[in-house]
Amino acid sequence: MVRLLERCVLHVRKGVKSPPFFIFWMIFPVILILSIFTFYPTVNGIILAFENYSVFNFSNIHFIGLKNFTKILSDPLFWTALWNTLWWIVLSVSFQFVLGFGLALLMREPFKGRGIYAGLVFYPWALSGFAIGILWSWLLNAQFGFINDILIKLHIISEGINFLSVPSWAFFSVVLVNIWYGIPFFAIMLLAALQSIPQELYESAEIDGAGIFSKFVHVTIPYVSSTILATLLLRVIWVMNFPDVIYGMTQGGPGGTTNILATYMINIVYYKNNYSLSSAVGVFVITILMIYSVLYLQFTSKHGADEF
Amino acid sequence: MMRKSKKYRIFRAIMLSIYLVAAIVPIYWIVLTSFKVPTDLYAYPIVYFPKVLTFSNYSYLFSFAHFLTYFKNSILISFISSVISTTISILSGYVLARYQFRLKNVIVVLLFFSQMIPAYLLMVPQYSMFSQLNLINSLIGLGILYVNIAAAFSTIMARGFFVRIPRSLEEAAMIDGCSRINALFKITVPLAMPGIAAIFSFSFINDWNELFTAALFLNSDDKYTIPVALYSFISKVGIQWGVLSAGLVVALVPTIIVFAFMQRFIISGLTQGALKE
Repeated sequence: MVRLLERCVLHVRKGVKSPPFFIFWMIFPVILILSIFTFYPTVNGIILAFENYSVFNFSNIHFIGLKNFTKILSDPLFWTALWNTLWWIVLSVSFQFVLGFGLALLMREPFKGRGIYAGLVFYPWALSGFAIGILWSWLLNAQFGFINDILIKLHIISEGINFLSVPSWAFFSVVLVNIWYGIPFFAIMLLAALQSIPQELYESAEIDGAGIFSKFVHVTIPYVSSTILATLLLRVIWVMNFPDVIYGMTQGGPGGTTNILATYMINIVYYKNNYSLSSAVGVFVITILMIYSVLYLQFTSKHGADEF
Repeated sequence: MMRKSKKYRIFRAIMLSIYLVAAIVPIYWIVLTSFKVPTDLYAYPIVYFPKVLTFSNYSYLFSFAHFLTYFKNSILISFISSVISTTISILSGYVLARYQFRLKNVIVVLLFFSQMIPAYLLMVPQYSMFSQLNLINSLIGLGILYVNIAAAFSTIMARGFFVRIPRSLEEAAMIDGCSRINALFKITVPLAMPGIAAIFSFSFINDWNELFTAALFLNSDDKYTIPVALYSFISKVGIQWGVLSAGLVVALVPTIIVFAFMQRFIISGLTQGALKE
């Protein structure tokens, strides 16, 4: 394999002077690690999706064709999870983005203590999603939770809501927490982009008589659009594969109503111990993300966002 | 565009305060809970400013569970894995930034593709591979997986950083007889230090917080990392909010400290490294 890789990588594009062996050995470690521990298991995982591998069946593992896929497609919980995944991504990412962008806009001009302020509002980004989930389930506790208490004190509700055990509230709650968790990410990214906008652009726009709104649409947005598109792409991929918050709060319950595909998959592993079935869900996830990425990149390359 | 009107300043102050309150209240609440005595903990109406504070939740936590061991495991594994993944990403990111070669685009696409694979698709094949290699319930085994998780994104970030550093300095060094690798580590790496610190902190934080892989691959108490300990803690003692809050504080505070110190690096690194050329 090393030979093959060497031959491929070493075949250097003509006309560019570059030292083949150096390039090969520099890139070798990362390729080696990813091949053994990511790509090889991925292939195995995909194969697994067509087999009957589970805890109850170690001795007679063989191909069963598309049975896992038909089994999943006929499971109503899968459809709930798929539908939830869509809403999970759309709601989480769009609100994270809008609120994060808002925060970045508020923070772009210096004010006293901005550094400390940044530390205090950005910190959730560095915390464990699972711990965040547990923390928020305490805040949302029906009897002793802070949120219910505040809502009662403000006379918005008259008695505590069981946020995590009533299905519609439960999904609303996990999305809300995920939004809270993800705002700093967008704020951090967009703040840096905003600060790199040359001041002259605004000045010349002002000379042309542009108002605040017009400056925002014609100067700010075009300048940071590539950052926006790139962060959105990555974020959607990450959020889709991000079960931590939900797992800390509801583990997909009650009755599967807060499952997204990622937690649905975990629950198949933990409770059904059917690894082939969970792999089939994984194959769905990869397929969806690949289609999404290709469409997204095709769409955005027309808008000049090939920034990576 | 200096919009200095008083109205805007007031509006901004109000909005910034709302964001601040929303960010801080949850963590304040959990710290407060961890110091409450049981009678205050489950009191109604809720006690916002307790008169008595107690360390009993923490002492119970440390007597019941070996949090110092978990702490040591977490620090060790996060630190070593991040050093390794950062080092190999320097090598690959540098080459991707500086040279043109066949398969370069394929490699970049593969790096991005690796971000799309759900962890749970990998875990079963990884588990059977590791059980043959005798790496189950081993911090070394888990460390290898953490290097694997971080490698691709770290490379992407590193590449973004090296692209911004002019190559003229390295070339000058090489004319003076410096080898390529020496030029990289003596000239370019020091210049890219903020970015490298960002890559390191980013993977450190991710490793520190990682739960699902660790929960599958570690199965004895003495090997647990903090997230796994927290997870098994809940299944063992159930939801006891006082102790659980103490556990959360112990789990969260180190990342908050790392973040506070490294914030500037992390932010500049994430934004410049990953997203712009």
